[in-house]
Amino acid sequence: MEAKEVFERFSERESFLVIGRSIRRFDALDKALGRAKFTADYVERDALVVKVVRSSLPHALIKSINIDEALKIPGVVAVLTARDIPGENQIGYALPDQPLLNDVKVHYVGDPIALVCAENEEAAFKGVEAVEVEYEELQAVYTIDEALSEDAPRIHGGEDNIAVTTRVRKGDIEEGFSKAEAIVEDIYETPYQEHMYIEPEAAYAIPEGHNKVTVIGTMQSPFLVREKIAGILGWSLNQVRVIQALTGGAFGGKDDMGPLVCAKAALAAVKLRRPAALIFDRDESAAYSVKRYPARIRYRSGADAEGRMTAAEVDITVDCGAYANRAPFWLWRMTAHAAGPYEVEAVHVDGKAVYTNKVFGGSFRGFGDVAMHFAVESQMDMLAEKLGLDPLEFRLKNVLRPGSRTTTNQLLDHSVGMEECLRGVAEASDWWNRRRRVKRTEGKLRGLGVACAHHGISTSRGAPDWSAASLILNEDGTFTYRTGICELGQGSQFGHAKIVAEILGAPLESIRVEGPDTDSTPNARPTHGSRGLMLGGSAAADAALRLRSRMVKVAAEMLGCDEGDVELRDGRAYDRRRPENSVSFRELAREMYIRGVSPAAYGFYAPPRRYFDPETGLGVAYPVYTFAATVAEVEVDPETGEVKVVEVWPSMDVGRAIDPLLIEGQIHGAIAQGLGFALTENLIVEEGRVLNPNFKDYVIPSSMDMPRVSNVIIVEKPYRHSAFGAKGVGEPAIISIVSAIANAVYHATGIRFRTLPITAERLYRALRGEKP
Amino acid sequence: MRPLPRFRVHRPESLEEALELLATLEKAKPIAGGTDLIPLMREVKVDVKHLIDLSRIEELNFIREEGGYIRIGATTTLSDLVESELIASKAPALWEAAASMGSPQIRNRGTIGGNLCNASPAADLGPPLLALEAEAEIRSLDESRCIPIGEVFAGPKVNSLAEDELLTEVRFKTPPQGAGSAFEKIGRRKAVTLALVNAAAYIEVEDKTCRVARLALGAVADRPMRLGEAEEMLRGKELSEELIEEVSALCSKLVRPIDDIRASAWYRREMSRVLSRRVLLKAWRRCKA
Repeated sequence: MEAKEVFERFSERESFLVIGRSIRRFDALDKALGRAKFTADYVERDALVVKVVRSSLPHALIKSINIDEALKIPGVVAVLTARDIPGENQIGYALPDQPLLNDVKVHYVGDPIALVCAENEEAAFKGVEAVEVEYEELQAVYTIDEALSEDAPRIHGGEDNIAVTTRVRKGDIEEGFSKAEAIVEDIYETPYQEHMYIEPEAAYAIPEGHNKVTVIGTMQSPFLVREKIAGILGWSLNQVRVIQALTGGAFGGKDDMGPLVCAKAALAAVKLRRPAALIFDRDESAAYSVKRYPARIRYRSGADAEGRMTAAEVDITVDCGAYANRAPFWLWRMTAHAAGPYEVEAVHVDGKAVYTNKVFGGSFRGFGDVAMHFAVESQMDMLAEKLGLDPLEFRLKNVLRPGSRTTTNQLLDHSVGMEECLRGVAEASDWWNRRRRVKRTEGKLRGLGVACAHHGISTSRGAPDWSAASLILNEDGTFTYRTGICELGQGSQFGHAKIVAEILGAPLESIRVEGPDTDSTPNARPTHGSRGLMLGGSAAADAALRLRSRMVKVAAEMLGCDEGDVELRDGRAYDRRRPENSVSFRELAREMYIRGVSPAAYGFYAPPRRYFDPETGLGVAYPVYTFAATVAEVEVDPETGEVKVVEVWPSMDVGRAIDPLLIEGQIHGAIAQGLGFALTENLIVEEGRVLNPNFKDYVIPSSMDMPRVSNVIIVEKPYRHSAFGAKGVGEPAIISIVSAIANAVYHATGIRFRTLPITAERLYRALRGEKP
Repeated sequence: MRPLPRFRVHRPESLEEALELLATLEKAKPIAGGTDLIPLMREVKVDVKHLIDLSRIEELNFIREEGGYIRIGATTTLSDLVESELIASKAPALWEAAASMGSPQIRNRGTIGGNLCNASPAADLGPPLLALEAEAEIRSLDESRCIPIGEVFAGPKVNSLAEDELLTEVRFKTPPQGAGSAFEKIGRRKAVTLALVNAAAYIEVEDKTCRVARLALGAVADRPMRLGEAEEMLRGKELSEELIEEVSALCSKLVRPIDDIRASAWYRREMSRVLSRRVLLKAWRRCKA
């Protein structure tokens, strides 16, 4: 069934049963009470403990790996190396550049070399220390400039250290700049960001007989994990069963780490024929897991005398670290969003991602758009100032509207609420008055900043995307709903349940969600790209509609009325003309089973086909975009350089709010995470070594650092091709807060930071005249 | 997670028993809240075979005013300090320091004795207790001695106690009516944060003249330090914002901070000036009130 049909049949309802209402999630209580089970909670006492032997050098050839001493340690059962891998020793995501266990070369400090499998942790730790690796050290490359220099060592062979390039050529750039009254050019740099999810990486693998393995783990893409494990073991997909346990925060990182960790546990379990668990320590997670990719952006843009954008020329370099991993996707996302949520006639973008000998980057909420918008939104502020315009007014002149074309010349014909978002936060924050009013109070400097954001939902470059789900009506009238979309804390599964409940008129509590298990749940594809609710939920809607039509057919016969008169509500089917005439879902279910009408439905959803030309970088880059705007007020202590975010006014065009509480949850969390990225989070990497892999010195904000968060302004511009018009929320939430804070700091101090984080010491130095 | 090394736990009910265990067991360490010790053990930075848990010893857990002194038992938690009316009213510097530490969970476990014996240069209770001229009661089986609080600190993360000794009590003269004290710190977030610099001041004013002035800073040397030269400039003078400004400027020269991943020595010097001024002004204002 076309999702469009769902939209048309249900979106025009005058009132919804559960959609749009704030309802307590069904997993809230167990999580609050500590009863929810996470991966480590499943591990049995007799499971083998797996620990990773890691490279101590950033770049070196491996001459030998000696495991003899480790094997002598009581409790050490085995030490596995590359030669123990029965399948292909390759786990790279975008490019085949990443062995699961290295035996030829190491590419960063922390690169995996061997797995110590032991009866207990004590023996495992001793075993790791006892494995002797002999290296031939190679010159290491730490920065983008070093990586691009002609005599740089080639980290992965080839002609240079460039993993991938991108480009967009839209309009006549020379003409664009010739029309400009004001032109601004600058270089922006954004650093690593570590996810610091509360639950570190974990996987528990259990051999099932001689040719099957079950892996329970913390992840975002169960079917990708299955594929990677099968590849490592040299098995077929159906020999591997992957179960996603409740995941204690992921933010993208576990999309990448899931396969790496699960494949290691599976290898140990299969080779040693015993259950095996690999659980990262915090320092291991913080030092060696993927990070937000650092990026450098050279940005030149111009606007004419009327304040309209005329041209943007953007050069992006992403620092991949040791492996490409998601870099091509990351880079394409930055490239396709390079002009920001603004209509710019002429846009030229060139991007490249380069290898360095450092911990590799990977998925992180916002996926490149945080860095891209930091550059865009700084440029917009500077252009406005140069033209003598208010920065919010200037943005309003340029925002994408229905009928606008994006960076990649994609025509936006509907579901474009950027202007409403921006006007919403302007009004809520009383922008024009407050901006004039804010100034020194008791020696503190106050400032108000604004920023916009847009974020394409689902995969980049028009790559096909789809999702699936299944739904069973049980004999007692309850429902079992199965989805491959993961619960990471965000609540997508609850959103799916609400969609099903709305379409079937079923009480929410009668729907039980079964999370990802590759042996039973349909492949919903990854829980990333803010697609969990939009794509996964649309598949849920499709399944619900299919089941609904069968339920209505049987109900009509039972009630002796036309199908068109059957109404499903509160777990009963009614004859709309004679509401006293009804049957319960239990009676209806039994009748369906007796009559042989299938009580199960498989739902499938794909957004409309898109066309994108990677040569010109033009075309339909994403099915739809979520839009957001944020105003932030900061208070700077000029005596210490400390920045306090006083209040934040957020807004978002979510298409349709399936549950406002879920949206608020995402936005509040993203404000904390964005605040950390803007002000305090600073991963210190010296000669490839992470010096602060802990909560003590990698400073994420505490609840005490949270600003006042004004009511979230929810703009609803429904997307025609998704269930009820919903669009993704998780990632767009973090993009505008970062730039809003940086712009507010500028308003307060007159100092513009082109690099992050704006730590107290950096701001203090800048206030005393040092170059920021 | 890296497992804790093997150790035995002893749970004495009396101080006498605890001292006996300390005197007889090899590689024994007292433990109260464990918020510093357990992470150190996990990182194998201390070698411990026996832990002597002090939490059952009632005679170590008290806050009371007695004989002109405020006396605080070693296992008094940071939360106990924060909840004490006596501390809040008589020693606001100590109260502010305790309230600034860790999180509610940490404050419920961490103790005054533990914070001092852990001997971190950034220990938040260091500066206020220095400013209050507190003393520590140190006990072993055969001996009892009383030392100025500063002498508990022997260097970064090293205390001056012998293996068989226990810090049992902290005490300081009850500040007279009209005395003022204050604490401030700069961290990298608002809670659960290590001080980049912390500071405390204690002031007594009589007829507009500053009779007593004490100033202490933390995280700017290998241990919390008193700023004697600065104090001298204030003593016997009529206080003014200008004088305090001048004294604070001197403080940034007296400290001996280091560069580390948290902040540069230069920033710590600058913040020593800022915090010295802030705590002196706040303590002075409290005298007037």
